[in-house]
Amino acid sequence: MRSKCEKIERLVPDYIDRTLSERQAADVALHIRSCRSCKRAVADEKKTQHLLKNFYVEPEASDTYYAQFTTQLQKRIEQSAPTALHQRFAAATTRLGWELLTHVYRYADRFRPSRFISIRQHAVPYYVLAFVMTVLIATPLLLTQVSMHNNGEHTRFPSVGVQSAVTLAIQQDKTTTESAGIRRNMSSERTTETPTVGSGSDVWKFTNEPMVDGYILTTLHKNSSDTMPSVALDIDSELLAYAEFPSQGAIWVRRTSRDVLTEGRYALLLLRGINTGQQALQEYKRKRSELKGFSQKLLDVPLEMFSVAAVHDPIEL
Amino acid sequence: MDRTETLLIADLCEGDETALAPLVERYKRMVYRLAVQITKNHADADDVMQETFIKVYRSIHTFRRDAAFETWLYRITVNEALNFVKRRERRRECTLETTVETEYEATARHHAQLANDPHTQAEKSELRQYVTEAVNSLSLKHRTVVILHEFEGLTHAEIASILNCSEGTVRSRLHHARKKLRTLLKPYVDAGVI
Repeated sequence: MRSKCEKIERLVPDYIDRTLSERQAADVALHIRSCRSCKRAVADEKKTQHLLKNFYVEPEASDTYYAQFTTQLQKRIEQSAPTALHQRFAAATTRLGWELLTHVYRYADRFRPSRFISIRQHAVPYYVLAFVMTVLIATPLLLTQVSMHNNGEHTRFPSVGVQSAVTLAIQQDKTTTESAGIRRNMSSERTTETPTVGSGSDVWKFTNEPMVDGYILTTLHKNSSDTMPSVALDIDSELLAYAEFPSQGAIWVRRTSRDVLTEGRYALLLLRGINTGQQALQEYKRKRSELKGFSQKLLDVPLEMFSVAAVHDPIEL
Repeated sequence: MDRTETLLIADLCEGDETALAPLVERYKRMVYRLAVQITKNHADADDVMQETFIKVYRSIHTFRRDAAFETWLYRITVNEALNFVKRRERRRECTLETTVETEYEATARHHAQLANDPHTQAEKSELRQYVTEAVNSLSLKHRTVVILHEFEGLTHAEIASILNCSEGTVRSRLHHARKKLRTLLKPYVDAGVI
């Protein structure tokens, strides 16, 4: 009888919800007619469910919160989309140029004799604005169009990105004849050479050799506690690293990891699996074609181009 | 899935970012409700909401059109919230017994004060608080199935699909959760408050 009661007890919630089959429902109904404890269990379950349905307070936020949330989400979507390196470089240059000009103007103003105050002085901000606009337009053009001809291959000039948010460095030993300068740093032969990158290093060095294996040294920095780094380096859930290869376009690498890399420390991402740059390019193009019809922003969503073999903390190396 | 929603999803797949806003508008309350119930914290729920909609925006092309968008969204929200809670517990950054009053708690108290009958106002308020706390005291797994089944009205099969487990597991968790709730709410049930 007791085992029967235990069996019925499991069916009671569904019996109340009327989700049992006819046969099971009939079994429960028949049993509770003759069993007082099970009858009481059904009554208790009904009351418990009544309490839950009528007295449980479902959380709700204010309309103001939802309005703020929508704005923040929109902003984050706009920011999260990765932009091309030259665009970020142009933006950084513009900011730097503007700061520099402002300081120069203020410094010069201190030595200006008051009698020289004229209409031309009032026009100075306009001159500055015109100059900045020129820089803004000319810099991306120069960056994209300056190229060099090397071994019959049209190779894009490597960009040097100055980013306050994230410092990313790809280093490759130019002195060696092969790209083994990178391989030496792989986990199996790690003892020989450890890359040293200072905190201020924004180094992008490339050789014309296809990159077989490599590493990316990343410094993680947040601008503030509220904003995430502008290149979508999501510290919490996944690590994104941006790499640009000569003539092969820009590639995003994504590594999902349970490990959380501490802010302000270097993370060495060892890349493996790029057999040739050409293969990587084909893969990149294939991925792009799959997403045909998407906006450019969506095209730039991180692509799992190749796996990251390991992540090491250089301090431990 | 109604036609408007289908069109919005199709537009979003085509790269039309403006299609996201109406979807957010439609589902923001559901996502918030679910997130805050799992995380038990307004600030965390806010993060979960952001991550959820960002994921929708980025992964909309992986959504199978024959499935219900709502179920897909439930899955993303629940997984994001569960991952968030697990990460939080790992880091021990935030304890569940936080004393900072969240918007969620403030709202809960506000709801609790809405009883119409002045004679039973205090009693009902206390009961609301007690029932809500009873649900919140359940373990993460049990709380999740109770929320999805009792308050969101999802079937066992739908919950199993969302949590990526078997229906048997869902039933078992629900059984244990209800048993615990019965024990917790027993004083009120026995006293015949309702």
